[in-house]
Amino acid sequence: MKKPNRANFVRLKIAIAVVSLVVFFLFYKLIKIQVVEANDLKKQALRQWTKSVEIEPTRGIIYDRNGRKLAINTPSYTVWAYVSEIENPEEVAKKISPIIEVAEDEIVNLIKNGTNMKKLKQAITMEQAEELKNLNITGISITEGTKRYYPLNNFASYVIGFTDVDNNGQYGIEKTFDSYLKGTPGLWIKLTDAKNKQLPYDGEIIYEGQNGYNLLLTIDENIQRFAEEAASKALEDNKAKSVNIIVMDPMTGEILALANKPDYNPNSPRDPMDQETKSEWSNLSTEELQNEWFKLWRNYSVNDLYEPGSTFKIVTAAAALEEGVVNKNTHFYCNGFYKEIPKVTLRCAKWYDPHGDQDLYEAFANSCNIAFINMANSVGKEKMLEYIKAFGFGELTGIDLSGEQKGIIPKRVEDIRDVNLATISYGHSVAVTPIQMINAISAAANGGNLMTPHIVKAVSDDDGNLIKEYKPEIKRQVISETTSKVLLEMLEKTVTEGTGTKTYIPGYRVGGKTGTAEKIIDGKYVPGKYISSFGGIAPVDNPRIAVLVIVDEPTDIYYGGTVAGPYAKMVIENTLEYLSVPREFTDEELSETTETLIVPDLVGLSVVEATKILKELGLKYVIDYEEISESSKVTKQHPSAGEEIEVNSIVDLYFKNAN
Amino acid sequence: MKSKFRKHEPDFYILFSTIMLVFIGVIMVYSASSPKALLEFGDALYFFKRQFIWAILGLITMIVLMNIDYHIWKKHSTLIYVFTIILGLLIFTPLGIELKGARRWLNLGFTTFMPSDAIKLGSIIFFASFLENKKEKVSSLKDGLIPAFLVIGLSTGLVYLQKDLSTSITVAGTMLSMYFIAGMPYYVFIISGVLATIFIRVAIYSEGNEYRLERIKSFRDPFADKLGDGYQIVQSLYALGSGGLFGVGLGKSKQKFFYIPEAYNDFIFSIIGEELGLVGTTFILALYAIIIFRAFNVAKNSNDKFAFFVSCGIGSLIAIQAFMNIAVVTSSIPPTGINLPFISSGGTSLIFYLASIGILLNISRYTKIGGSKKNEHNS
Repeated sequence: MKKPNRANFVRLKIAIAVVSLVVFFLFYKLIKIQVVEANDLKKQALRQWTKSVEIEPTRGIIYDRNGRKLAINTPSYTVWAYVSEIENPEEVAKKISPIIEVAEDEIVNLIKNGTNMKKLKQAITMEQAEELKNLNITGISITEGTKRYYPLNNFASYVIGFTDVDNNGQYGIEKTFDSYLKGTPGLWIKLTDAKNKQLPYDGEIIYEGQNGYNLLLTIDENIQRFAEEAASKALEDNKAKSVNIIVMDPMTGEILALANKPDYNPNSPRDPMDQETKSEWSNLSTEELQNEWFKLWRNYSVNDLYEPGSTFKIVTAAAALEEGVVNKNTHFYCNGFYKEIPKVTLRCAKWYDPHGDQDLYEAFANSCNIAFINMANSVGKEKMLEYIKAFGFGELTGIDLSGEQKGIIPKRVEDIRDVNLATISYGHSVAVTPIQMINAISAAANGGNLMTPHIVKAVSDDDGNLIKEYKPEIKRQVISETTSKVLLEMLEKTVTEGTGTKTYIPGYRVGGKTGTAEKIIDGKYVPGKYISSFGGIAPVDNPRIAVLVIVDEPTDIYYGGTVAGPYAKMVIENTLEYLSVPREFTDEELSETTETLIVPDLVGLSVVEATKILKELGLKYVIDYEEISESSKVTKQHPSAGEEIEVNSIVDLYFKNAN
Repeated sequence: MKSKFRKHEPDFYILFSTIMLVFIGVIMVYSASSPKALLEFGDALYFFKRQFIWAILGLITMIVLMNIDYHIWKKHSTLIYVFTIILGLLIFTPLGIELKGARRWLNLGFTTFMPSDAIKLGSIIFFASFLENKKEKVSSLKDGLIPAFLVIGLSTGLVYLQKDLSTSITVAGTMLSMYFIAGMPYYVFIISGVLATIFIRVAIYSEGNEYRLERIKSFRDPFADKLGDGYQIVQSLYALGSGGLFGVGLGKSKQKFFYIPEAYNDFIFSIIGEELGLVGTTFILALYAIIIFRAFNVAKNSNDKFAFFVSCGIGSLIAIQAFMNIAVVTSSIPPTGINLPFISSGGTSLIFYLASIGILLNISRYTKIGGSKKNEHNS
């Protein structure tokens, strides 16, 4: 038997020494990690375990004034990638690309450039979500959230607006009241494992969020529907570029309806409504497409300016009456021309057959430019500007919609030359927004108070508690009640006897004023392009609604009374019936046996000849256009020859310049 | 001669420490593996059950070997060595299975088997017998050094062919340690230092082994790329650090929830540190130290050179593998995949380690009693 020798024992001692050293070194390392650096490491580990998940608040619901839902929320699904769990992004992308409709390489990019959790696609449908869940791909997960849904589609789109995929308000009330609608997100802090699943330990903290507040609008779904229908019909009948209708409660400033056509569906604001536009847009570049979208989403009522034309005469008349420079008994004489300004000759629309002597009511009903030039002159530049401003032109109305324009009016009295004063009196050389115009008409009709127009009545929380209420707000009194009364009478006479007879509704006392103006594009008048409008009030003895109909670029015919009037009539008649306003027929209306006759063919005749024939037949006519001469020939008439119309109806005559 | 060394009780410290480690191992494998077991097999006890059965089989093996006179191993040492080498070569036959890019396992039908575990023990037995037979010539170049290094090279090379660097280092280290104690000339240190450098450079920089270089880079600052190459080490440090002095409590590790990959295997020490704290890790470290020092003590008091070398070899093997594992998880050396003896999940490893302890315990039954007592004072 060989025994271990001395040398072996020495070597063994060396080995023991080495082992001892290693043990002490490892013990030192353990103390360093588990005691000295423990806190720091623990903090980092805690950061790794803790995941905070935002709890999305539910966006507030938008109701009409009667509690009908205009904007609600529906479930929506979001696809996420847990980047670290996906071993082969290409393979995953190939599988999910056709379902979520995102290009394969885009998905691969998202996964490769992502850390932790990466959003692949938002707002997929329940069907897509189901299909994806069935595939059961590691690292792909689906979360449920909510998406905005507008159950009435393209209904009051310009009032409500829409949100982006993250439920941020982009346009309309959705934008201006975003802070109320949005709510505050909650936070869910939890401990998770490396696969993002919650750990089976305590340590979960939930901070409750606050759901968005609900909005009660001043919009009335029924009246909005009347406005939408009338606007669609006006757009179609006139083959116009666009139509804008606003209905307002003149006493409170509440917007009852606001419709623009063409419009968009807020559920898919980027898709045009009609096939034609859709095919046009398919060829556009991204930038062009974006421009088209922005154009489509503009709310004409507050974002765009137009020259009001004769509807602005309400302001001139109000100023003149309030200043006392005219009264009910004032007479005006129209000889067809106004030649007081050197080198300028202004003509009345009916210069070839002057109005002659007329009282205030007749001058208004006839929309006689000469009479209004005289009124403005009597008021004076300074006062005239004061009234224009007092009626809210040149300033924001304060309506709760975004992007409101101030309009263009003379800045200082010194800026107003004589010719400006004259043209302003009949609504030229000023630019206003539709909302300013209807607000001014309301002030003229409601006893003289300029209101702040508004579209939201109340804000309330989920439990129905009132958070905020918007009460009618008088900005200022512009004219006296007496003046307002006279203006209403004048407006009524315009409808019963003047340029607005196409808005006449038997049984209802309707007041209104027509307007036609050539369009100004880039600061220049564009011949052949018009904006025709009608601003109305009903009933005049107790105003319930103010209506403004604006038809942008009608084709063929363009006189405000004809182009916009009938649609204002539709809206007013439907609304008053809906509001259960009783019809009160006058004796005249009851006894009147309607006598009809056949419209003669007037095309080709001169102004003088045509108007003479119409007068003899007992028909009225409108030629709301200055640029014609005696030799001008009738090129078009409305109604056309052969149609049966009532005695005292209006025939519109259109001319082309002889030269 | 034999009668002089009366057969007595085996070394109690080794026996106790080993059983403790195996016991802790089974519990910790259960704790660390339950999330994965539940996720992949729907049974939180999946790995626990297997480890428990292996532990029972291992302890039986240990007890059996404890009662088999160790001289039989000396007698058949060459046969044993040839057998383990054949097992190692079987990997390259269709019996071998490849997992995670490495071919290290044999498929025995009912279980997988890691031949490198057998090679470790086989090499210790053969090398001990080899060193004993060399007698005084063990230090000479021609008769001692060269043959010794040929044997070391054969064992190590066979494991290295399995792309298992860490086990190659363990085998080489164990056998070098035995040869050192036997009387390796000191000049070999210089030469082997040079050779080791060359060997490691080849292992790291040769084509197809780029992953080793990345591991060394990530060792220098694991936090620099804590989602990439430094991930495992950073996660291990998070576990140890958040365990602190007393740990978060048995079963309450958070890091085992997939933050640490295969938490019940190479990184089980981190989970022990998280759940049982510095107290737990120090206890484990102490148990290893006891086994190793007692193994050297058994060697010192053994009655022949073969028993001396086998005891030294087993002590070295446990020291190298256990401390290498702990060094990796504490970021003391570059990360390398090696499991923790007696504790990590894995049947072959547990069986062979317990078999080694069985042999060691049998040797301890033939030690000089007086010497052993005297030695106790020293250690």
